[in-house]
Amino acid sequence: MKAVDGLKRAFQDAVQGVSEFRGETTVVIVPEVLREVCLYLRDKEGYDFLVDLCGVDNGTDRTPRYSVVYLLRNMETKDQLRLKVFTDGTVDTVSDIWPTANWHEREAYDMFGIDFKGHPELERLYLPEDFEGHPLRKDYPLRGLNPDRDMYEGGVKTKVAPSKPNTMILNMGPQHPSTHGVLRMLLELEGETIVNAWPIVGYLHRGTEKLAEYKTYHQVLPLTDRLDYLAPPSNNLAYILAVEKLLGIEPPPRGKFIRIIMVELARIASHLIWLGTHAMDIGAATVFLYAFREREKIYDLWEMVAGARFHQSYFRIGGVREDLPEDFIPALKKFLDEFPKALDECDNLLTNNKIWRVRTEGVAVLSKEDAIRYGATGPVLRGSGVNWDLRKAYPYAGYDEFTFHVPVGERGDTFDRYLVRMEEMRQSREILMQAVARLPDGPINTEPGKYNFPPPEEVKGDKANIEALIHQFKLVIEGVRPPKGEVYQAVEAPKGELGFYIISDGEPRPYRLRIRSPSLINLQALPIMIKGLKVADVVTAIGSIDIVLGEVDK
Amino acid sequence: MVMWIAVTVVKLLIYFAILMLFVAYGTLAERKVAGHIQDRLGPYHCGPHGVLQPLADGLKLFFKEDIVASEADKFLYFLAPALAVVPPLLVLGIIPIGESITIAGKTIPLPIANINVAVLYFLGVTSLSVYAIMLGGWSGNSKYPLLGGLRSAAQFISYELVLGLSIIGVVMLVGSFNLVDIVKYQKDMWLFIKQPVAFVAYMVAAIAELNRAPFDLPEAESELVGGYHTEYSSMKFALFFLGEYANMVVSSAIATALFLGGWYAPCSFLSFIPGPVWFLLKTFALFFFMLWIRWTYPRLRYDQLMGMCWKYLIPITLFNILGTGLVVILKAGGV
Repeated sequence: MKAVDGLKRAFQDAVQGVSEFRGETTVVIVPEVLREVCLYLRDKEGYDFLVDLCGVDNGTDRTPRYSVVYLLRNMETKDQLRLKVFTDGTVDTVSDIWPTANWHEREAYDMFGIDFKGHPELERLYLPEDFEGHPLRKDYPLRGLNPDRDMYEGGVKTKVAPSKPNTMILNMGPQHPSTHGVLRMLLELEGETIVNAWPIVGYLHRGTEKLAEYKTYHQVLPLTDRLDYLAPPSNNLAYILAVEKLLGIEPPPRGKFIRIIMVELARIASHLIWLGTHAMDIGAATVFLYAFREREKIYDLWEMVAGARFHQSYFRIGGVREDLPEDFIPALKKFLDEFPKALDECDNLLTNNKIWRVRTEGVAVLSKEDAIRYGATGPVLRGSGVNWDLRKAYPYAGYDEFTFHVPVGERGDTFDRYLVRMEEMRQSREILMQAVARLPDGPINTEPGKYNFPPPEEVKGDKANIEALIHQFKLVIEGVRPPKGEVYQAVEAPKGELGFYIISDGEPRPYRLRIRSPSLINLQALPIMIKGLKVADVVTAIGSIDIVLGEVDK
Repeated sequence: MVMWIAVTVVKLLIYFAILMLFVAYGTLAERKVAGHIQDRLGPYHCGPHGVLQPLADGLKLFFKEDIVASEADKFLYFLAPALAVVPPLLVLGIIPIGESITIAGKTIPLPIANINVAVLYFLGVTSLSVYAIMLGGWSGNSKYPLLGGLRSAAQFISYELVLGLSIIGVVMLVGSFNLVDIVKYQKDMWLFIKQPVAFVAYMVAAIAELNRAPFDLPEAESELVGGYHTEYSSMKFALFFLGEYANMVVSSAIATALFLGGWYAPCSFLSFIPGPVWFLLKTFALFFFMLWIRWTYPRLRYDQLMGMCWKYLIPITLFNILGTGLVVILKAGGV
């Protein structure tokens, strides 16, 4: 890899090791040169996009105990590089090199207690100020240090200092109709104009990453449903693909197609909620109910397939749980036929509506450069004019077999993001039409029994056989054992790039599972989008970023 | 004299009852209309098709806990909701629901007070509504209501002008401030045909004065939670609500008198239906129009709303006055 050779030339001994696993390159460097290496990679090698930054606890008996992992991307060549530094607790900050690192570093500080030297405001990201300990450390018990304590007086952030006299601090949320859950915003106002804004997250933090370390690979799956609870199949897919990459397996064609059907339905469902709530924030209450009516039909479809409407947990390692029911495809076709009309109805109410236009055009602008610097992904990035879609950039899960178009905005304002998402729904429908037309026959699972549970009739009843029983037993009692290694797998979720970074130590439970949640990272760009705008634009901007707090808070 | 007082009291009671009924079923109409626009049914379970829903709502609001914000300025805090109901009730006195009615050989005029400055009285009284909202927003000592009160003060003062200016055209044509005279002038042709610009401007300004979507900024729930009435609960909240709907009704009624020919039937062969029925039907049509608007349009932003008033509506209404004046002068000169 060109960048690795360049690094070795430029930094020689500071590069401690280069390893390769499943096509991913990891470079270990000494912490002293971290900033120089990062600047070199950004400026000389074009790694302008920091995908993810996270901490890892290598074990209480190891020195240095922690490592910090940086995942970098060159958006032109599509190369990815993982940078790793080992440390005993102090690392230089890179939040001035990539502003998106700001919250990532706060999270690593929160969860591991790693100190980032030079960080502008190193405070806990998720947990209350008076929380004891750092939960993702390996010696932190799962139930916490004080399992009986249920109140934290300190809150997350109680007071901010006004930047100039005669301003008013307005607390918006966590209970507020338009923060889409439990997001909290502190706004500094001068009249109705926003001088400063601080988004505060963590009110829904459940510690998914910690929980995952105590569960087998199969058991983690239901946890992922609860991240972006408006599009659970996308989360399932991202996680399952990461595990499959770790195992080095792929599902059969029919399994892939079924997954794509589920995921694209999830995109439509998620965008419908966004459309409804976004319109309601701006005062168009009727669109909200139209969008919910359509989403209901998708939930009925999901119920047919998975039995559950909300949290399906339908994908399995190596395929899906069971085949589609017979009446599913006709029902899906019916939905696809009716959907454009319903979408046009919403379109007619909004797109050419004068009031909608003045409320969204030129509001909450995020420039192309800022979008990349702040690590924005998904419709937010595309709305800012960057043609970047993981389905095209790194075709995963069989997306290379489908033709679709990636809508891109121009000005990066709310209206562009609105248009991008509206078009994405239509494109998802195109993909679904193709999937329905070309749905192959055949098995839905790779080697059932080895990675996935054997069919129920082979375990119980007349057709039961001893081999299936043994497989079932092993999988339930022990789980799947992937090889040692680390992988990062991302999917284009409705909200943006949803990535799972899994470190396996060969045991049936992930050693470390890191979730790169797009909502959280997109939200970080909110303050720069709304500075100087009016209070009413805050809700417009939050709606146009399309956050879901289950994913923001993990 | 005693007879006159008795008749006036009876009229007052009847009109008040009509207004309250209109308001109660206005809330139901709002929910039903919203429901059907949005592909759902609206209230359905309280009585057949939900017709008893307003009663249930009223009872619920009576029995809700009355919470007083601890840091509130108590006197103003209690005064504000009461003030919210007063202006529409005062306007009720001048509404020309019909010309007169003959009972037992006696001709009784239908308006409670047929005063010569009715239009001025209407403008004066409606401008009092702003105090309720401003005081409500300010006295709770809370930030969201404060912003709501702030917005409404600016909005009311601006749209007050548009409201007044739009009526001037009508007054110039008729040559009287008396609402009964204005209605009588429309016997052959309704004024919204002669004054279309004024009619549109009046409706826009009226909706803005009523804090209705798309101009419901003082109570924009997605931004300001509840706006000026965030800190109010129980009957105090209900009074704000009552005031808003009563205002809608009387605004629609005044618009009917000014532009839609008051109690006259739209075509002569329909004049067998009594005038007051026509008046109420037209009022309800305008009321429905306001509901329809609310459930169709998004909300404007505060600065955009002010821009629309000062940059477009006020110049347009001024030109309308100029044009009307020219027509009046030319006609007078031609005679």
